[in-house]
Amino acid sequence: MKNNINFPEQSSSARDPSNLLKSFMPLKFQRKHINITVIVLAVIAFGTLPFYVNVDSFFAYYLFICFLYIILAQGWNLVAGYTGQISLGTHAFFALGAYTTAIIWLHNITHTWYYFDPLVMVLSGVVPAIFAIIIGIPTLSRLRGDYFSFGTLAAAEILRIVILRGGKFTEGAMGLRLPGTGFTTMGIYYWTALLLAVLATAAVYFITRSRIGLALKAINEDETSAASHGIHILQYKVFAFAIGSFITGICGSLYAYYLFMINPLAVMNLNWMFLPILICVLGGNGTVLGPIIGAFVIGALFSYGDVLLGQVHPMLSGILIILVMKFLPTGLVGLKDRISHRR
Amino acid sequence: MVLIIQDIVNGILLGTMYGTAAIGLSLVFGTMRIVFIAQGSVIVFFAYLCYWLFHLLGVDPYLSLILIVPVALLLGAAFYYGLFKEAAALKDRIGSLLIAVGLMFFLENLMTVVWTPNPRAVVTSYGFYAFNLFGINLTLTRLIGLLIAILATLGVFIFLTKTLIGTAVRATSEDVEASTLMGINPDRVNAVAFAIGIGLAAIAGINFASTYSFDPIYGFDVALKALIALTLGGIGTVYGALLGGIILGVIETLGVYFVGSAWAQAICYAVFFLTLTLRPNGLFGRTS
Repeated sequence: MKNNINFPEQSSSARDPSNLLKSFMPLKFQRKHINITVIVLAVIAFGTLPFYVNVDSFFAYYLFICFLYIILAQGWNLVAGYTGQISLGTHAFFALGAYTTAIIWLHNITHTWYYFDPLVMVLSGVVPAIFAIIIGIPTLSRLRGDYFSFGTLAAAEILRIVILRGGKFTEGAMGLRLPGTGFTTMGIYYWTALLLAVLATAAVYFITRSRIGLALKAINEDETSAASHGIHILQYKVFAFAIGSFITGICGSLYAYYLFMINPLAVMNLNWMFLPILICVLGGNGTVLGPIIGAFVIGALFSYGDVLLGQVHPMLSGILIILVMKFLPTGLVGLKDRISHRR
Repeated sequence: MVLIIQDIVNGILLGTMYGTAAIGLSLVFGTMRIVFIAQGSVIVFFAYLCYWLFHLLGVDPYLSLILIVPVALLLGAAFYYGLFKEAAALKDRIGSLLIAVGLMFFLENLMTVVWTPNPRAVVTSYGFYAFNLFGINLTLTRLIGLLIAILATLGVFIFLTKTLIGTAVRATSEDVEASTLMGINPDRVNAVAFAIGIGLAAIAGINFASTYSFDPIYGFDVALKALIALTLGGIGTVYGALLGGIILGVIETLGVYFVGSAWAQAICYAVFFLTLTLRPNGLFGRTS
């Protein structure tokens, strides 16, 4: 087997202990299998967690929030991290997803009364995706990225006013109250959130490893060059934006099932726009692992900060954003590279 | 009819405030390509400073300009050297945007802690004084606001065209690389642009404080309005930003008159969206 031969190590990498370890393993086994093993073990660990940790504890709630953040951040990551288009309208897609779920439930459109109905959740993703295509085509056809950021922000603000003035359909600032009583335990929310987080991460992983992902990266690097190589820029950008919004919408749907009270203040809060940006940038923008790390860190800071620090904590998160951007512009994932480069 | 004209006049006076904020945004965006989303929060912050000076020391709001504007200029330079220097040099602008967002978060919550979320207003003895011209009410504070805004715009315009560093600022916003090749120090130019931007925010803040009531969260709204004014007027021209602000102010007040305040906001954002997609260089911007 050609792959099993150990090539002579380069002098610089030979000093790295992890490379030394790898040189004893068959080459083919090295990265891919370790990664898969770690991922499977992590998913099993999180999946079985409710059996030995009280699922109604604050810690389980914290993990639920982390999974929610992962879904949200992966949706944004696909658009901003890989395609380089900074969307400032995430809260609109999130709210659209939540409102779609609430309206379908209240009007009993699909005739399904159980929670986490896959059909309802998919529809809650499709509606934001359609919205994304509608606003994506005019804003993304401009060459400069700023227009896209501003355009999504404007569209989101228009949507906020439409929801606030929606009359009977959205109940304005009062919001919609779902008739269900909810589960008495967090367990089902925890597992659904975990499943969706894994699915969202997998979706981003496979899209970015596919031909489409290559095209998206090419667009991010140099649009003119990508276009001259026959990549239909607008089509790919809109596609990425629609998929990202689809994921965001499903996240909104999950939150709607959790919250049961859908009002503009809860689901159209500007936090839902800043959170994915902060999570992705803190973790490492344009990587699959970055948003996951970022979600756990930000989840801890926000949920525990809220409990421990109270009113002061949003102020500290502002300082945190500034510090991260100033000293860690490539995120926590990039920290590893920076350390190894320095060596 | 008189009511509509009254609305247009009020809109112009409101718009000058957006315009002043938009000029600051325009300078910062032009030189550094930073969308300084915290501009609105900075404006509200200066409005609070003005409020404090007025209530604790009894300083007249317009007199406090002499105190607040130099502080603002220094603060602007400090913002650049302390926060944005590294991020401005990067091609990736998400870093600078996020720093601005962080600053906005920080300021909003700082103001909520220090001054509570309740709306505040600076109520002066002459605050309700108004002229009546052909049946149209002209509030004194708004007229002074208009005057100050026009003076500030003129001042910035003269600074940008007549002084050496002003020319450097304009050159940098035309083409960063070429201006660096000409021997312009980008750091100094960016710091000056930032200082003027924050200085204009201070002027807008004082105008705002003496005319309207304000609360900490209002900043984001003002920043968005300034951004709309900027895109309407076109990036790169000083008078364009002011005119864009005035147009926006008129659209907003007329919108409030005809369709109510909530839908008026929607109209503002719709105008924003349409300008972005149909006339990305703005109404008065240079066509590239």
